[in-house]
Amino acid sequence: MPDDLNWAIGGEAGDGINSTGKIFAQALSRAGRQVFTSKDFASRIRGGYTAYKVRSSTERVESVVDRLDVLIALTQRTVEENMDELHEGSVIIYDGERTMMEDFEAPEGMIDLPVPLKSLAEDAGGAIMQNIVALGAACEIANFPIDNLDEALEKRFGDKGQSIIDNNQEAARLGEEYVQEEYDRDEFGYNIETTDNDYVLLNGDEAIGMGAIAAGCRFYSGYPITPATDVMEYLKGRLERYGGHVMQTEDELSAINMALGAARAGARAMTATSGPGIDLMAETFGLVAQSETPLVICDVMRSGPSTGMPTKQEQGDLNMTLFGGHGEIPRFVVAPTTVSECFHKTIEAFNYAEKYQTPVYLVSDLALAVTEQTFAPEEFDMDAVEIDRGKLVGEDEIDTWLNDSDQFQPHFPAADGISPRTLPGTSGGAHMTTGLEHDELGRRTEEQEVRIEQVDKRNQKVETAKEEEEWDYREFGDSDADTLVLSWGSNEGAMREAIGFLDEADVSVRFISVPYLFPRPDLSDEIEAADDVIVVECNATGQFADVIEHDTLTRLKRVNKYNGVRFKADELAERITEELDTPQEVPT
Amino acid sequence: MSSDVRFTDFKSDKQPTWCPGCGDFGTMNGMMKALANTGNDPDNTFVVAGIGCSGKIGTYMHSYALHGVHGRALPVGIGVKSANPDLEVMVSGGDGDGYSIGAGHFVHAARRNMDMTYVVMDNRIYGLTKGQFSPTSREDFETSTSPDGPKQSPVNPLALALAADGTFIAQSFSSDAQRHEEIVQQAVEHDGFGFVNVYSPCVTFNDVDTYDYFRDTIVDVEDEDHDPTDRDAAREKITNDTEYQGVIYQDEDSVPYNERHGLDSNMADIPDGAPEDATDLVREFY
Ligand SMILES: Cc1ncc(C[n+]2csc(CCOP(=O)(O)OP(=O)(O)O)c2C)c(N)n1
Ligand code: SF4
Repeated sequence: MPDDLNWAIGGEAGDGINSTGKIFAQALSRAGRQVFTSKDFASRIRGGYTAYKVRSSTERVESVVDRLDVLIALTQRTVEENMDELHEGSVIIYDGERTMMEDFEAPEGMIDLPVPLKSLAEDAGGAIMQNIVALGAACEIANFPIDNLDEALEKRFGDKGQSIIDNNQEAARLGEEYVQEEYDRDEFGYNIETTDNDYVLLNGDEAIGMGAIAAGCRFYSGYPITPATDVMEYLKGRLERYGGHVMQTEDELSAINMALGAARAGARAMTATSGPGIDLMAETFGLVAQSETPLVICDVMRSGPSTGMPTKQEQGDLNMTLFGGHGEIPRFVVAPTTVSECFHKTIEAFNYAEKYQTPVYLVSDLALAVTEQTFAPEEFDMDAVEIDRGKLVGEDEIDTWLNDSDQFQPHFPAADGISPRTLPGTSGGAHMTTGLEHDELGRRTEEQEVRIEQVDKRNQKVETAKEEEEWDYREFGDSDADTLVLSWGSNEGAMREAIGFLDEADVSVRFISVPYLFPRPDLSDEIEAADDVIVVECNATGQFADVIEHDTLTRLKRVNKYNGVRFKADELAERITEELDTPQEVPT
Repeated sequence: MSSDVRFTDFKSDKQPTWCPGCGDFGTMNGMMKALANTGNDPDNTFVVAGIGCSGKIGTYMHSYALHGVHGRALPVGIGVKSANPDLEVMVSGGDGDGYSIGAGHFVHAARRNMDMTYVVMDNRIYGLTKGQFSPTSREDFETSTSPDGPKQSPVNPLALALAADGTFIAQSFSSDAQRHEEIVQQAVEHDGFGFVNVYSPCVTFNDVDTYDYFRDTIVDVEDEDHDPTDRDAAREKITNDTEYQGVIYQDEDSVPYNERHGLDSNMADIPDGAPEDATDLVREFY
């Protein structure tokens, strides 16, 4: 049997699917297994199909696949929704005593496993624990030591008191025992391994929040929106421990303006939102750049336009972040490619913002935001975090930056484009900044030469950054392969696994995953060296392909997906071979 | 802060381009005096301005300042004060800026009650865009975009502030320099959101709400023995049709947002690397 275990729980929103899924993912992670989760959810609070899927292995897992081994189905629809992923030997756990599932029979070749979830939960102290009974049953099916689940339950219910923990552990035990008594474990053929490895389990939003704290962020303002809200929920309570503050604002206009105010006063500040919020922030985005205030603006993309499909994946905002806003706005656009990169790129974003006194878009997406993934804790090395506050001028140096009339020059046209910056409260440094075109003192002007000088100065910052920083990429696969695959954002994981599937079909590829969207690496040589170049992205028009074509004046092939679901590794492998001159059959 | 600050220290060397006679001159003078009287100096003061003729104030004053986008000055001020509570934060804009495009922020700023001052230069018209009606314009006020009058009720800013649980609600008239200065000063001294609506006539586009009109009609609440801590009395003053000046309402028990949330440190001070106990953050995910 494969060591991979693909498990899922599905039912209606409001059935506690998410927390149950997370508990199981945590139990697996505590047992030293690598975990990768995904969620299907609809934009409803109660009702509507929802599922939480956990893929786990002793090896690194980076994507979802079309395969489900154990499914806890709280509704008949759960089975229908996942039929394509079920296979011979898949086990379906359900409550045969529930009226809606009474007549349920597992399809041919699959294993039917009715467990009286509700009545066993009542025996343990309450019907509400029916999902936990199912988890206990799943442990037995997979031959997975249930004490790992006990630990996860302790973690989950720790603050609710010992009796709640005890009841839940009892519920799990009843589920396990029921399967032991009624079925023969060998029937299932799952026997998953555990290891001694320590892993942490977190999602992209949490990694961004943790990165922000590590980077010295002190002020966060935001307005709730899926799938960015978890960033705010993570920071609330934690940022305060470090003398910071999380402000839930009245709207996104307020969110970005407050963050701008805090940044202007000297705090490292951030706001996070999703597409619609980015649109609302666009006007102030220009002000941030024009006033040369350092600010990190995080866009956790979802499917658009307008409110589109708010709970579905898409990478549709690239153009907005690269080009959005009236006038010409110097900016940086950085896009993490994995959950752990969400942490690292957030730290970088804060440093770029302050070093270059510009807005930085940190672009993530729903797939990263809702995916919990395991990592070795060393991947989040706090000792390696470096904070660079750029040209921050204190009282001792202020004289250098005063003009003949002792006025501080916040927009001094330095050759590298980066002016001195002094924070309010610094004596002798009082000055204004504005969104209007201004002179070196920050005062409004329409003088043609000053206008040109200041525009050039602001744009020069980007040129300086292009020289000073490494806008590199991440590379996988065979660097000599004729086929080059490019992608950005969360596709990296699926593509890395797809390389394995492609290998099996004797298709060798070089894969480049690009985390820097502006400035971005020059890929001319890499593209020149390849016969086929395929750009993979979750949008309909190929926004990334467009900019790379523009950079390199080369036509590229495109693999796009925009049905709201992220790429799966096996599917991606197949789509790539279809683009090749001689398509191959991919064994999956 | 130093005690020998004069209000002229808050003046920049830029000559205002306001029309001669514009009410904004008087409004700004009163603001500078109030700041100096309360012991502030340009280096500890942060002025946030909106957009409009009124919004130009940041240029004419000397202090730390940000001139933002239309209607969004209040959130900027809240951010500044959160990040550095030692700063004296004063936000200023026009009636269009504050009650039209920025009306949402106004209501939320009032209920949030951050310790800062908000001065609105209310000329009952859009000045900078050359004479369209504003949210405080009268129902029958004829302008280029309301040839027969806007035909809608004007916003009552004081009522909005009271409804939003504002803790300091006042009104002044820019040409009554003495009273205007006193009232703004009280707003600065107030622990919380000190809001002053200032009648600041536009001599170019508004021939109805003029200096003469306000001089003839304005009534000082002090002359009516008004008790500003009495909320019902305040509501009565705000909703009768008299043009009042003075402190209409003050909640003496006001505890500002920054105090409630323990915002007392300068957030600009951060270490060179991750916080010392940052690995605990990672450990939470075990
Ligand atoms: C988003 C946006 N919309 C419109 C404008 C144009 N605009 C500039 S000032 C102004 C009105 C100003 O009126 P008010 O706030 O009453 O200030 P005043 O000029 O009368 O002092 C408008 C609509 C703008 N700058 N930004
Ligand atoms: S147009 Fe009106 S508000 Fe603007 S400066 Fe002139 S008088 Fe003042």
